[in-house]
Amino acid sequence: MNWLSDFGSFVAGRWEQLLFDSYLHVSAVVQCVVIATVVGMLLGVAVYRSPFGSAVATAVTSAILTIPSFALFGLLIPVLGLGVPPTVTVLVLYALLPIVRNTIVGLASVDSSVTDAARGIGMSRFGVLTRVELRLAWPAVLTGIRVSTQMLMGILAIAAYAKGPGLGNQIITGLSRVGSANATNAAVAGTVAIVILALVLDAVYVLIGRLTTSRGIRV
Amino acid sequence: MPDTTTAERAGFSADSGSRRSERLRLFTEPVVVLAILGAVLVWAFTGDLDDIEAREINAANILTLTWQHVQITLAVTAIVLLVAIPLGILVTRPWAKGVAPIVLGIANMGQAAPALGLLVLFFLLTQQTGFWVAVIPIAFYALLPVLRNTMVGLQQVDQSLLEAGRGIGMSRFTVLRRIEFPLAVPLMLAGLRTSLVLAVGSATLAFFIGGGGLGELIDVGYKLRRTSVLVVGAVLSAALALLVDWLGGLAEQLLGPKGLR
Amino acid sequence: MSETNTAPKPGGESDRATSGVEIRLENVTKQYGGQRHPAVDSVTMTIPAGETVVFVGPSGCGKTTTMKMINRLIEPTSGRITVGGQDVLRLNPDELRRGIGYAIQQVGLLPHLTVSQNVGLVPGLIGWDKSRIAERTEEMLDLVGLDPAEYRDRFPKQLSGGQQQRVGVARALAADPPVLLMDEPFGAVDPITRGNLQDELMRLQEEMGKTIVFVTHDFDEAVKLGDRIAVLGYQSKILQYDTPEAILANPADETVAGFVGAGAALKQLTLRRVRDIELEQLPTATAGEEPAAFAARLGGRRGAVGLVLDERGRPLRWVTRRDLDRSGSLATAGRPVEDSVDRASTLQDALEALLTADAGYAVVTRSRGQYAGVVGLDSLMGTIRALREQYEDEDGTPDGRPGDGPGGSDGGSGAAHA
Ligand SMILES: Nc1ncnc2c1ncn2[C@@H]1O[C@H](COP(=O)(O)OP(=O)(O)OP(=O)(O)O)[C@@H](O)[C@H]1O
Ligand SMILES: [Mg+2]
Repeated sequence: MNWLSDFGSFVAGRWEQLLFDSYLHVSAVVQCVVIATVVGMLLGVAVYRSPFGSAVATAVTSAILTIPSFALFGLLIPVLGLGVPPTVTVLVLYALLPIVRNTIVGLASVDSSVTDAARGIGMSRFGVLTRVELRLAWPAVLTGIRVSTQMLMGILAIAAYAKGPGLGNQIITGLSRVGSANATNAAVAGTVAIVILALVLDAVYVLIGRLTTSRGIRV
Repeated sequence: MPDTTTAERAGFSADSGSRRSERLRLFTEPVVVLAILGAVLVWAFTGDLDDIEAREINAANILTLTWQHVQITLAVTAIVLLVAIPLGILVTRPWAKGVAPIVLGIANMGQAAPALGLLVLFFLLTQQTGFWVAVIPIAFYALLPVLRNTMVGLQQVDQSLLEAGRGIGMSRFTVLRRIEFPLAVPLMLAGLRTSLVLAVGSATLAFFIGGGGLGELIDVGYKLRRTSVLVVGAVLSAALALLVDWLGGLAEQLLGPKGLR
Repeated sequence: MSETNTAPKPGGESDRATSGVEIRLENVTKQYGGQRHPAVDSVTMTIPAGETVVFVGPSGCGKTTTMKMINRLIEPTSGRITVGGQDVLRLNPDELRRGIGYAIQQVGLLPHLTVSQNVGLVPGLIGWDKSRIAERTEEMLDLVGLDPAEYRDRFPKQLSGGQQQRVGVARALAADPPVLLMDEPFGAVDPITRGNLQDELMRLQEEMGKTIVFVTHDFDEAVKLGDRIAVLGYQSKILQYDTPEAILANPADETVAGFVGAGAALKQLTLRRVRDIELEQLPTATAGEEPAAFAARLGGRRGAVGLVLDERGRPLRWVTRRDLDRSGSLATAGRPVEDSVDRASTLQDALEALLTADAGYAVVTRSRGQYAGVVGLDSLMGTIRALREQYEDEDGTPDGRPGDGPGGSDGGSGAAHA
């Protein structure tokens, strides 16, 4: 209990800094997810009709996901310098696999009788894609976006090492002040804030899913 | 939540990709990885090395750090297997229905938390450094895929199979051993593969708290502005992760029950 | 007429071997947690050793629940069940189940085991040695009509639905249990395969004489397979428990009648064989004879019909008096005989043949195709009438109004009445 009140006063004292870091953390993740969604869906749409293309896209993005994030940061620092550029690149690259794969799977699992019917009533190829296939694949894509977001929330913490933004700075600060009174407080604040924000974002996705999924295909 | 099952199916830890892309990776990945690794090592070793570089880039140091990295990964994997599979079996027994969501919730939190945060927190709380201080938080972080896949794998076994098993006179334990467990093995292996990748990845962070591993090369290279050291560390740890993942993929192909393939 | 004996059913009277044991249910009730009414309410019935008893009834009436209580996959809330005189509630459930074959609609073959491993499961559980299991597995696959060499090492997903069902039956029979429980085992296959599987099961049962409890909601399947049928209503209430003939001839009430469905009389004809009734004889002639001589034998009655046979006595042509007057040779007179039945055919087959030959008779032939006699519409109708009267007598129902009987339970195996 003693520790809790200590932690409470720590948070109260750095309220603004914590809020600011949280804001940066969420905004960086959300922006990167948006970029990754656009890139990933374009990629998915481009390859989903070709089994080989799908296989290559999935294999490459999943290989990227396998690379340790700290190693990827390290590799990008000599090329892109510090701060925002390597951070955005890393986050977007990691977010790709779930989105690309779910786009491919979602599009491929649209019943061909549905697309045939849409063609049959005179929809253009593009119309079928945007008004039928992507609409039906959307829940799967959204699931991929959710998975990506959860992942990025954690990965972004490492970006602080390369002078990136976000709550990782609290953790790094805690580590660098080891022995001082507030070291643990800072690390706890950073870690817990990331978990809470991840959960909040997940709830937001559930809501988005409700609002953007046609009621006819909701489970 | 209505779409947890979709999430599990589509999420990256529940299965490891389409068969075709799996095969593609199985055949091309080791070749590409070893080629890049070889090229980078040759480049690093044959370049002009100053004192600092020479201290880091030598066979002894690189082997030591790689071995540390592998050891952390192995220890994490052992803990994950020893904890997650029995726990997954336990909480899917009918009498543990109430506990399952709680356990899954805790494991979910474990993975939602940043690995770096867990490592630093554990270090600050124990005031210790070294191997196990790195291994334990990483194991907690990497637990979820195996735990969740064990649970899902056991739960998705067709109810009629369990009934058939019971109906021909198998005991509950025999049903678990001969039906549920073998049928859950493919998903468990997929989870294990994801856990392995998480373990290798998180082990690059072990140096933050004095746990060693290849992250140290990256750190030294970054702090002392020696690109060659940084690149060697990064490429080595990436290669290790890709190879471990490749081995995991191989295990998935070879160890799953034959009738299911 | 030694061949004209009575119907082989019910099983007790037949000469088939009996390896089964009797099953008794006494006031068996199952109340699922959280439900207002019991799923099975105080059922009492006796399933005689070596007989096939079929439970039929609408979906959700409690057939599966009743059956699963016999091998304790579902524990009864109250009541007593004995198998071969032993109280099942006193036995270790796993050991009990190893002694009771079990086949279900979903088949439940273990997908990660080969066909032979699946069949060998129960023998393995009860500790047979490897060579004996291997031998038994081959024998079982043979028995259900699958070539062991070809199918032994396949995995379930490499089999068709019907083949999977066969393996399921082989697995249920592998340890030679005296009792077999089958829950809609043929429910998920196409009608032709289902027919074949039913025939196979009947053939096997003829040899084995096990006690079989079979659940279906296909009444025709029940009529075909059952020595007795238990028509169950809501909460497994026994509406009628009797031989198929008796239920067809005299449904106990409106509900049973509804379940029997339209065409009860036709279904009755499937239960009787041509050999069970007395054949009629028509005037015959060989193809070489003079038409005029045959005409004299047919007599002057209008519409009189005769049969022309070949030298070996096989039926060739139907002829009427008028055909003979118009034709120069018996070999071309009248119409050809297109369809015939033998003594093992069902009366329904006979009716079919009768309706296609517009002579009004079905020709019955012996084993090599020689003429044996004919079946006419009158004798078919007579058979149905006799059947109906017989079961009405047993029931004490004075006349042909179904539904007046006291619930239609037959002697000894009392149904529970509200
Ligand atoms: N495990 C259970 N828990 C609660 N109620 C159940 C359970 N199993 C069955 N019931 C209920 O008991 C009743 C009888 O079910 P049962 O499965 O025995 O019917 P059935 O005659 O086999 O039906 P069907 O022909 O559809 O297979 C039904 O109303 C069903 O809803
Ligand atoms: Mg049923």
